[in-house]
Amino acid sequence: MSLLRYESQVREPLVDGHKTYHDVTEDICKPVEAAPTRLWWIGFIISVALLLFGAVSLYKEVVYGTGMWNLNKTIGWGWDITNFVWWVGIGHAGTLISAILLLFRQGWRTGVNRAAEAMTIFAVICAGQFPIWHMGRVWMAFFVMPYPNTRGPLWVNFNSPLLWDVFAISTYFTVSLLFWYSGLIPDMATLRDRAKKKWAKAFYGVASFGWTGSTKHWQRHESLSLVLAGLSTPLVLSVHTIVSFDFATSVIPGWHTTIFPPYFVAGAIFSGFAMVQTLMLVTRKIMNLEDYITISHIENMNKVIVLTGSIVGCAYLTELFMAWYSAVKYEQDIFFKYRIAGPYGWSYWLMMTCNVITPQLFWSKKLRRNIAFTFLMSIVVNVGMWFERFVIIVSSLYRDYLPSSWSVYYRPTIWEVGFYLGSFGLFFTCYFLFSKYFPVIAIAEIKHVLKKNGESYKEQMDGIEEQSVEEFAHEHAHAH
Amino acid sequence: MALKEQFEIPGGLKKWSYALMGVGVLTLILGVVFLHPFSGGHGEGHGAEAYGATKFWMALMHNSIFWLLVVAASFFFIAATTLAQAGWPLVFRRVPEAISGAMNVLGPIALVILLGYVWVSDDHHIYHWKDVEHVKHDEKLLHKSGFLNPMFYTILSVTAVGLWMWFRHSFRKLSLAEDLAQKGERSFYWKSLAIAAAFLVTYGLTVLSTLPWMWLMSIDAHWYSTMYSWYTFASSWVAGLSLIMLFVVYLKNQGYLEYVNEEHIHDIGKFMFAFSIFWTYLWFSQFMLIWYSNQPEETAYFIDRLGFGGKGEGTFRGIFLLNLIINFLAPLLILMRRGSKRNYTVVTLMAVIIIFGHWLDFYQMITPGPLKELGKESNSLGHFVFSLGVGAGFLGLVIFLTAKYLTKAPLLPKNHPLVKESIIHHT
Repeated sequence: MSLLRYESQVREPLVDGHKTYHDVTEDICKPVEAAPTRLWWIGFIISVALLLFGAVSLYKEVVYGTGMWNLNKTIGWGWDITNFVWWVGIGHAGTLISAILLLFRQGWRTGVNRAAEAMTIFAVICAGQFPIWHMGRVWMAFFVMPYPNTRGPLWVNFNSPLLWDVFAISTYFTVSLLFWYSGLIPDMATLRDRAKKKWAKAFYGVASFGWTGSTKHWQRHESLSLVLAGLSTPLVLSVHTIVSFDFATSVIPGWHTTIFPPYFVAGAIFSGFAMVQTLMLVTRKIMNLEDYITISHIENMNKVIVLTGSIVGCAYLTELFMAWYSAVKYEQDIFFKYRIAGPYGWSYWLMMTCNVITPQLFWSKKLRRNIAFTFLMSIVVNVGMWFERFVIIVSSLYRDYLPSSWSVYYRPTIWEVGFYLGSFGLFFTCYFLFSKYFPVIAIAEIKHVLKKNGESYKEQMDGIEEQSVEEFAHEHAHAH
Repeated sequence: MALKEQFEIPGGLKKWSYALMGVGVLTLILGVVFLHPFSGGHGEGHGAEAYGATKFWMALMHNSIFWLLVVAASFFFIAATTLAQAGWPLVFRRVPEAISGAMNVLGPIALVILLGYVWVSDDHHIYHWKDVEHVKHDEKLLHKSGFLNPMFYTILSVTAVGLWMWFRHSFRKLSLAEDLAQKGERSFYWKSLAIAAAFLVTYGLTVLSTLPWMWLMSIDAHWYSTMYSWYTFASSWVAGLSLIMLFVVYLKNQGYLEYVNEEHIHDIGKFMFAFSIFWTYLWFSQFMLIWYSNQPEETAYFIDRLGFGGKGEGTFRGIFLLNLIINFLAPLLILMRRGSKRNYTVVTLMAVIIIFGHWLDFYQMITPGPLKELGKESNSLGHFVFSLGVGAGFLGLVIFLTAKYLTKAPLLPKNHPLVKESIIHHT
């Protein structure tokens, strides 16, 4: 390992201001230790209210059945599965940031990984609700588990991608949780050591598993991180791949297309980063963390958004082209009569505008670094990605093969919408609790990059920047 | 310090490249003599004989497309890492810069071959859609003729290849100008970012979408798969990474590239490993979805390759399975360990295997369609050897051109603002 801490001056610092290790601890722990602000309470109460509305909506659905929703003869998947795919997609950014960016050695992940991982976990919890309650007789949900039973022929269908979903998502959830939590341990210990109240000391004491910060602990911690990163990288890809199989294995025009797996993954990263932006822009403002989640972090995420948005755009156009090229009547009808035109044409164009066209504005450096515009775009992208799933599901289903099976125009009932709003309630309730009781930025990881990427440290590298390559290499060789 | 910054072509390398090119030319001459490529496809001879021209052109198309995409992948590597502002490749970036220079010759060669087949050759077993009479009676091809026609084929091919060459030329110019500029001058750096971005968009609109549909997918003209272009890209990309690895290791062994160490080798190795898995991911997604839904118009493609024992089916089964073994299992098992990605011998061996593997992948993408009517008579072994011979010529040309471009500039872009990060790179 090089003793030389050097980074090129073309890169912006990852930590602004003249921070010391102690400042980092103070800045990040302060919101956890202080009493919640009024803004926090307002947000929390709204979230809990939404959650309760969701609970009422579910009560209606469980007691009276899925008939409380407007699903009909051909649109058997409506808002519920749209929401499911949407939330799972959002649940991709966290592990992508923690795992894949860790493998790519991207230092800027340290500013946003903790909150993004937490968000991932909450999003996956929200996603899981939809298929479960969609079952109707939810008390039989455990039937999806393959175990020796007395139900005779009622056994899971291993050929069904819906079952693969059960495995993929639960595995992904478990590993993401482990990854998130193992990263939290050193920071929990910091909070424990600083805690003044008895209950806080007890809580953070238990939560930090007796972490002492010894070299041995760190060594194991680092190995574990790398192993979990290696495990979760294929998992991130597998989850949305299998979600895409839910559609692509079916022989339904508009669903059965081979590009679905990678294109779903790109879309998931796209929407996940948009949600991270939404949350981060608010979090950094309310908790005064602008020095840690800098404009440069925001710009980097916007670059990921324009990249993944363009990949998704490439896939949309590929599908459109192939529908024509295939010379298959059904494919052509779905795309050219029932998607870009027809009663749901508006949703296709909304999707195209939000996901492909508007993100192209991020080619402009000025807009990438504009906070208000980024916030607006993060919402636009998430609206667009919701409609992507709506378009895929509804526009492929509402015109069945027989005109007699063409469905009536599908509008959700208040309970369908309520369930969706309830998932927001669940998500934000969890996020508010997290931001109150957990450090929203990984303290230890920020400290790890501080002396290489911190603003005041980078200023000292001007001398190194002036050196010729030969001098630099010579000095480095002797620094070992 | 006596740095070997300026590459001089060693005699051995020159000899090898000439020998390989010689093999290629010889094969080509034998091809002209025995396969009668210009004698016209229809009616003459029976069975295997009538397919002489087909085989001749197919080997040329296979190799020119494959090697062009592989050297273009070098520039894709530069563009992607430049846009991502990656520092680590700087100490060896002149290597992919040189490899991608081979586009300047391979591009025109590929265009001559492709356009030669489309416009000059009478054969139409490769592209059924160029047979005007046949298309008239084929409803599907008639429908596709708005896309699959010689004129559009020409425009798209020439534009695409021309643009890649132009972007590479502009980038290289900046890169060389930076060497001579004052230290600390950043304008070259920012400009090169813009070129990289523009190139990647162009690449997205060509290699990641339209071009493989036209060049390759249209060989099985009735068949279609939305994944096809991404799959083609993944195949050429991982082979391109391996080619970079080969040249880096070669230069290192010759005493050049002083600042490259096992950290850099390790990272290129990670790319080879990761994108081999990525290729497999796309392979699996395409195959599994077609197998699962089991629709005749889609499965036809895989039946030609895997077969169920019907006429012409399954001749390529061995190659089809070998493709998976050497492009998935081998990198997975061999490159998984940290140590193997840092071992010069292992990475060299794997790079050779991967390049050959994806050459084979392209072979099984191209050959089964045109030869399926011949069935077992298709003499696939003979054709395989012929393609291999032509391929050797292309490989020799790539080595020759890369070596030539390597001599034209110092091996270290010493004024690049990220080069120092690359020197102290630690994975």
